[in-house]
Parts: sequence; structure tokens; C-alpha cells
Amino acid sequence: MTAQVLVLYFAQSVELTGLKEEELPDVPTPISSRDLWTLLLRRHPRLAALQHHVILAVRQQYVAVGDQVVTLADGDEVAVVPPLSGG
Amino acid sequence: MAQEVCCLKAQLKEKEKEIAALKKKLAQLEKSHPTVLELHDKVTPLTPLTSNPALSNEDIMRYSRQLLLPDLGVRGQLNLSKTSVLIVGCGGLGCPLAQYLAAAGIGRLGLLDYDEVELSNLHRQVLHGEENQGQAKALSAANAVKRLNSTVECIPYHLQLSSDNAVQLIQQYDIVADCSDNVPTRYLVNDACVLSGKPLVSASALRMEGQLTVYNYRGGPCYRCLYPLPPPPETVTNCSDGGVLGVVPGIMGCFQALEVLKIASGHGSSCGQQLVMFDAQDARFRSIKLRPKQPGCAVCGENPSVTQLVDYEAFCGSAATDKCLKLNLLSKDQRITVQDYKSIMDDAGPHLLLDVRPLVEVDICHLPSSLNIPLSSLQERKSEHLQLLQERISELKQQMAGDCRPPVYVICKQGNDSQKAVQVLDKMSGSEVDNIAVKDISGGLMAWAKRIDPTFPQY
Repeated sequence: MTAQVLVLYFAQSVELTGLKEEELPDVPTPISSRDLWTLLLRRHPRLAALQHHVILAVRQQYVAVGDQVVTLADGDEVAVVPPLSGG
Repeated sequence: MAQEVCCLKAQLKEKEKEIAALKKKLAQLEKSHPTVLELHDKVTPLTPLTSNPALSNEDIMRYSRQLLLPDLGVRGQLNLSKTSVLIVGCGGLGCPLAQYLAAAGIGRLGLLDYDEVELSNLHRQVLHGEENQGQAKALSAANAVKRLNSTVECIPYHLQLSSDNAVQLIQQYDIVADCSDNVPTRYLVNDACVLSGKPLVSASALRMEGQLTVYNYRGGPCYRCLYPLPPPPETVTNCSDGGVLGVVPGIMGCFQALEVLKIASGHGSSCGQQLVMFDAQDARFRSIKLRPKQPGCAVCGENPSVTQLVDYEAFCGSAATDKCLKLNLLSKDQRITVQDYKSIMDDAGPHLLLDVRPLVEVDICHLPSSLNIPLSSLQERKSEHLQLLQERISELKQQMAGDCRPPVYVICKQGNDSQKAVQVLDKMSGSEVDNIAVKDISGGLMAWAKRIDPTFPQY
């Protein structure tokens, strides 16, 4: 099974990918959050700079990058959120 | 002779006018601040906040519009007057936060900042005025807040929050707001709040985005639960590098004020297990539901390894400031000073001056002879830019006799990106472009403005 998801990029991930959002047509599902992150890294190798410091969210829910398995449906939002520290 | 006397008289009159204006200004200021605020340069014990059993008639009139809200009411207002809030950072977030907390009638405000007011702060740090330049931000903010509401007790702290003073300071307050501008301070404030059991209303802003979460609150996560490891310092962008539209921290600071007021009044915050993100481009807020606090967290978990404050600058590998750090990536012979470049320019020898800043910065100011190719284009090997570079190198080679390597001098704002560009160009030299002799101009355009051309703009 695959799903078409919308990936939203925030803060530094916008610079690293050059995108604010993109549609990914064939994301396998169910998928572990680690594999989902790896899939994004393959598309945008520069995202590696955020490894271990990024929040991944699926359908506005925090997902720890690891073994957690997520089930995706068409139209689901995946958000890549690095921390901001300015003020 | 007569003319000189006339001229002196006119000058004297002008000066007298100036003195009169200054006297007037001073009188006005003294009138508006009957009590002179004392700037604290160290943490001292505070007397307990005295609580009023009831609202005075003046309180009722002043706060009437919010007393009418069932969400606040008299009880909520009295709760505000009993609450003390420590604001860490009196900048783009801290200014609007302090302003609304004071206006709403918070009992005590601790205002902490180590910096002084600069001209480049004024577009977003709205409590400070032109006349406050050079003044401690904590004092400037406290004076502004006092003008707004003299019943609020203000304590300005002109000090660097550190592992030695953070717990002692934070445990004297009920709620802490993180309005800081750097990663080490964010971890320090988080850990001190966890160790002291205080809720932490934390916001941040950069460019056109903001984030807000209330940490260590009602079973929710702390900053370390979300970010166990600090980001590598070279991946962190600060406001002085990345820029920020003033109103964006303004909105986030107001948002912090809202959550602080909800906690202080007894209503409670709904951001304890939520990361709220603000996108100013699309004028959109989004929320991410977070996990509860993590049993394995190093500071708020079940077996914490952090049981007292540590060295946060060492932990993060960066200084607790948003000032630009100076990189040193190159050897001495790969760098020249701005004075060296001035002589090269004066000698008019054939060379290429390559400005590697983003276009938006080149639009602010640039040296007339420079070619602009942003560092990111070099790193990504953008073909149109590489072609342009090769063309200019070929032109230089034609101008120069023999088969020597054309000299390329690389410049940016402060001399960090230019060093990275030199590394990239060194790799490209002889393969992706013809052989070149690349050197970095140390200190960049800001050094040029300071040492060579004082009319060149600084930003």
C-alpha cells in the first residue's frame, strides 16, 4: 500500500530543501517513522544537518524518529519542524 | 570682527536653546518616573510579594474591561497581582510580553538582559526608544513598563544568566518566560525551571516564523524531552544573520503574554503539550500535539542524569549570545586583511572580487567592482553561476600575461561565509573551473566599513 502525503517544511528545513511543501505520491504505508525520515533524507540529503534535532509530525501529532509505525492515508500532512532559537 | 561676534552670539543662542530643551526633557522624565529603578547586577533575595485582599476603586476602573470577562473576573485579577514572572531576554519577544503583563496588572516582573540597546534593535524591541541607545535593556524596559503601570513592581537585572545564578533567581518567581535568543540559554532556563518546578512559557522567532510551547507544565514535556541534543552550532541561524520581521516576535511575545496570563490567573494554559507554530507568510497558526514528559529525559525523567545545572556553552558548543561567532577555517596564507585588499584595489592589478552574500544583502550595499555569487550557489554548483565565474576567470587570464593563476578575493559580511567559499573554490580550482588563486578577505565588508571606508553602511 502507498499513500499520497503532503510534506510541510518549517524553519531551517525550508532552506535545506528549498521548499515550503511538496506532495509525495507513493509513500509506503504502514511505515516506521525512521523509514519515513530516511525517505525524506534521500530526497533532500541536506536535511541530514537536522538529524537528531528535528520534530516530525504526522497529522499534527508528534512522532519520535524511531521504531514507531505510522499508517498514512491520502492527503495526510507530514511536518518537518526544526527548533527556532531566535528572539 | 563684528561678523565673528555675530556668529558666536548665534551659536550661543543655539546652545541655550538646546540646554532648555534638555532641561525640559529631563523634567518630563523625572515627572514620569518618581521612583528611580535600581539596576541589579546580581541575584539578591526578594521580599515576598504582598497580596491585596481586594481590588481598590482605581484597580476596578483600570482593569474594568478585563474584569468583565468571566474568564478572568475579580478572582483572576487578584491572582495576577499575586504572581511574579521572570522574563529572560528584553528583546523582540520580551518587550511586548512585558508590556502586556504590566498592562494587565501582573504583581512583579523580573526583567533580565545582559545587553545594551542598539539602533538595530528598535525595529522589533518596542519598549526601547532612540534615546535609550547604549542603556541597559533591562533598565530601559523596566522604565517603559513603569510608565505604563506604576503599580507593577519591576526588577531589572543587568546580568548574564548562568549555571551559578539561574536556580537562585528562578526559584524566586512563579512563572518563567524564555525570550532568549540563543540555544545554551534555552537549555539553561529549561533545566533551572525543571529543577525549581516552575512552568516555562517559551517562544522563539526568526525571519517570518515563530514557535511557542509551555514546558514543564502539568505533566507535559520539558525542552530536553523534545530536543535531548543541542543542534550543531553551525546549523543555528540567529536574528542578526537570518533577519526577522519585527512584528513576528511581536506576535509571539503577545502570545506568550496570553499564556502567562492564563496560568497566572488560574485559568491554565492549553499549550503544555502543544507546539504552536506561526507562519507569517501565510498568516497561519498550526499546532502539533506533543508527547507527555519522557521517563527517559535527562532532566525531568525518572532517573535524571542532570540533577544540577551544567556548563551549557560546553554542552551546546556555542556561546550564550546571538552575536556572530568568528570562524577560523583557513590558514594564514589563505587570508588577507581589508587593508591588503585596499592596496590591491589601488594598484588596479587584474583580479576578481567575489561577493558570496545572498542577493538580498548585496542589495543593501556592495563594493562596486564585485561579482555576486552566493555561497549556496557555489555549494550547490549552480551551473549558470559556475559559467559566469568561468567567464570572468577567462577574461582575467586574457588580461594577464603567461599562464599564472588569476587571483580571486572572496568577501562577505563578516568573514565567515567567505572562508567557506574559499574552501569550495579551492576544491573547484583546476577541475570545475580554471586554476585560480583564492583568498579570503578577513572580517568582510563590516571590517571594510570600520577600517577603510567609514561611509560604507553597516548592518
